[in-house]
Amino acid sequence: MLRESVTYVVARHETWQGACATEPVEAGWATEALFFVRALVQPTGELPQIRAQISADGMRWADEGTATSMPADKDSLGVLRVRHFGNWLRLVADLPEDAQCVVLVSVHLK
Amino acid sequence: MFNTDTANVRAGLLLADPRLSRFDPLPRILSLDDFDRGHCGWSQLLGNYEGSLDTILPGYRDMTNPMLSTLSHWDSGSHGAMDGTYAMKVATRAKKDAVSVAIKRLTFRQPSPVRLEFYATFKPEASDLALSDKDLKSIGFLLDLQMGDTVGSGGERVMPHLRYLNARDGTLQQKWQFKRRTPDVRKIGERNETVSHFHLADEGWEDLPGGSQRLCYNEIATKVNWHYFRFDFDIGTMTAQRLQCNDRIFDMKGFDSIRLPAMKNLWCMLNVCFFVETASNKRAFLYVDSVCLSGDL
Repeated sequence: MLRESVTYVVARHETWQGACATEPVEAGWATEALFFVRALVQPTGELPQIRAQISADGMRWADEGTATSMPADKDSLGVLRVRHFGNWLRLVADLPEDAQCVVLVSVHLK
Repeated sequence: MFNTDTANVRAGLLLADPRLSRFDPLPRILSLDDFDRGHCGWSQLLGNYEGSLDTILPGYRDMTNPMLSTLSHWDSGSHGAMDGTYAMKVATRAKKDAVSVAIKRLTFRQPSPVRLEFYATFKPEASDLALSDKDLKSIGFLLDLQMGDTVGSGGERVMPHLRYLNARDGTLQQKWQFKRRTPDVRKIGERNETVSHFHLADEGWEDLPGGSQRLCYNEIATKVNWHYFRFDFDIGTMTAQRLQCNDRIFDMKGFDSIRLPAMKNLWCMLNVCFFVETASNKRAFLYVDSVCLSGDL
């Protein structure tokens, strides 16, 4: 059997302001996840870290420990690599009041 | 005395194969999707765009990817699929009236009957300790078909839609509906190359005559039961032949499809979609264990 591999787009052209999260990713079959966060327009304001979160049930979330900076420029990327995540994954970010970023978020699982 | 007629041999082979004996396929199996083998070509439905993603019609913007799910629950762990571990999960966002679609894109080589069979179940997200049976609006499926390019004038794109309307505004509905009202087709972008129409809006659905049916929701939000669904459609005549769900077979005389003039780049299209709608600010999930698409093709 060839190894399963898939790409999900979990946020497409979403304007992130305030407390933001991707939809939950259910991926118990996968052992590694690689997230790309791309800014589709020039972000504004002071940009926070993007954090990976894990969950027991897809509803209650805890920080996994992996984080990276939000992309600071149009078409630049934030990248997060996550392993040992169990069944559920998502990305979150808490943008301060003056900050905004229009994102395309994909996760690549295998 | 053994009977070696082709039909009997074929029937015997189908019945002896646990992957197939649960289905009643037409002679040629076009695809047999078991989500223990991966995503099997099912992906996210994306609205058309040109120049900017802003041009995607609003109804398509919240669509999500179908994912492989173990039907994992906070109170009882993994439910698992009908057999094996994984089912395909189609999930809405946690926003009232949100809809999400999984699609498989094919073409046909002969305008003949096709049969879509699948085993599926549905639930709202178990975020409350409550039955929650009125929180999921509907599950459904559609075919998106267009005749071949030699059809000449009068060619059509035909989209048979069916949904099981489970609940609306806090009231159980539990009935099958179809849609034949043609949505507005909108030009996308400035190049005159792309159009789009949102055919899954909540408007325009009509009750299928005799289409009331109560299914096995079970007794709490984290217990699920798999159901059998079958839809027969003749691409040659572009007419529906049969809808079956578990023990019920529905009369399709009152059914019709959305019909549009043929589009310039969709010849011989054979797309299959599954969708789910939420009736509350909770995610709604359609889980599909396996799908058999067959035809006289």
